[in-house]
Amino acid sequence: MMTRRFSTLAACLLLSATALTSPSFAQNDAGKAVYDKVCVACHSAGIAGAPKFGDAKDWEPRIKTGMNALYESALKGKAPAMPAKGGATDLPDADIKAAVDYMVAAAKGGAKPAAAAAPQAAPAAAAAPAPAPQANPAALNFNRLLKPASKRNPPPPEDGIHDPENDGTHALQPPLTVFQSLPRSNAGNRVDWVKALDTNQIGPRWDRTDPTAAPVVMDLNIVREVKGSMPDVVYPHKQHTAWLDCSNCHPQIFIPQKGANQISMAAILLGQKCGVCHGKVAFPVSECRICHSKKKNVMPVKNAQAN
Amino acid sequence: MMPSGLRRIGIALACIGSFLTTPVFAEYADVVLNRMAEKEGMRPVIFPHWFHRIRFRCKVCHAELGFKMRAGSNLVTMGDIIDGKFCGACHNGNIAWAPENCDLCHSGKPGLPPGIFGGHDTNGPGRW
Repeated sequence: MMTRRFSTLAACLLLSATALTSPSFAQNDAGKAVYDKVCVACHSAGIAGAPKFGDAKDWEPRIKTGMNALYESALKGKAPAMPAKGGATDLPDADIKAAVDYMVAAAKGGAKPAAAAAPQAAPAAAAAPAPAPQANPAALNFNRLLKPASKRNPPPPEDGIHDPENDGTHALQPPLTVFQSLPRSNAGNRVDWVKALDTNQIGPRWDRTDPTAAPVVMDLNIVREVKGSMPDVVYPHKQHTAWLDCSNCHPQIFIPQKGANQISMAAILLGQKCGVCHGKVAFPVSECRICHSKKKNVMPVKNAQAN
Repeated sequence: MMPSGLRRIGIALACIGSFLTTPVFAEYADVVLNRMAEKEGMRPVIFPHWFHRIRFRCKVCHAELGFKMRAGSNLVTMGDIIDGKFCGACHNGNIAWAPENCDLCHSGKPGLPPGIFGGHDTNGPGRW
């Protein structure tokens, strides 16, 4: 008797589980996309009281309040830290609701983001080539240097150097809350800082106290011819003086005189010359072509014009 | 020949092991300051470059405030900060929040060496 009741119960659970998860896959593409872009910043780690993704315990009391209440909280925001639409106010309501559905389904089904991503990757790739192909984390595991998309720009409690047991760690701003709206690049912070500054998406102060002070930008390109088939290096003073003072580089790192500086990739990789910043705060040396950007003349031409 | 080869493999494995056991996905250019902190019984300090460069150009700290551009070469003490030097030039309750919020800066895992973090992109002797 007891066992029969148990088995029917199990069957019911199984049925309801499939019923819950299968429709979610249909509309999850939109929901997952929004989650990966917006919600993930807080809900992946459960920052500032946010219910953690896939954590049934966190979600259970919230799901009990009904889906409409959940939609309401997501769309209009909720008291401690949840901003309206998770901060992405330009998204349509339907997308936000889809993201809520996606998170609720994950909490009910206990689906991990990686597991959810795997079955979706194939149809998404087959259907439309455009919507940003999600890297499959498992496929990159063989190379410890390659970070899968889910491991980039982690929130402080998950980044391996912040102590999650420290209360202050959880009050720190996760990088992705800002980076989402900035131009992307392929390395470093994965933000194109120069472009962000050029397009006024960020407005860092030039002076500690005076917000109106403007930098003295010097527009002078220095071309450095390099050996071999690598394109020549064009060093733009413009992008550098927008951030830095002359004294940051001259005369300690670079002697301000033509031909006086021996620069090699070896020195840069050792953290000298350009490597004082590039590979530490500015874009790393993996981005060869940002510096090596001037094509060589195939035929030697007399009086080749600089730049 | 054979033993040295084996030893080399052993060293390589140890290196790989050390990477595998401590997955560090720190944000590019995060700096750990720990020349003083742990000796004084506090967690190491983590300075996020990305957060500050959105608000200030490099020059403000690296030319005006006297931060040298080499991780570990700046001996920053709480005394200095309270006197309005280094971090204290802004973290004075005026431009940014005041230094009584200890755990916002002193937020690193115990035992972190001073230096610049951020994964394999970060190279060179950023350590002093």
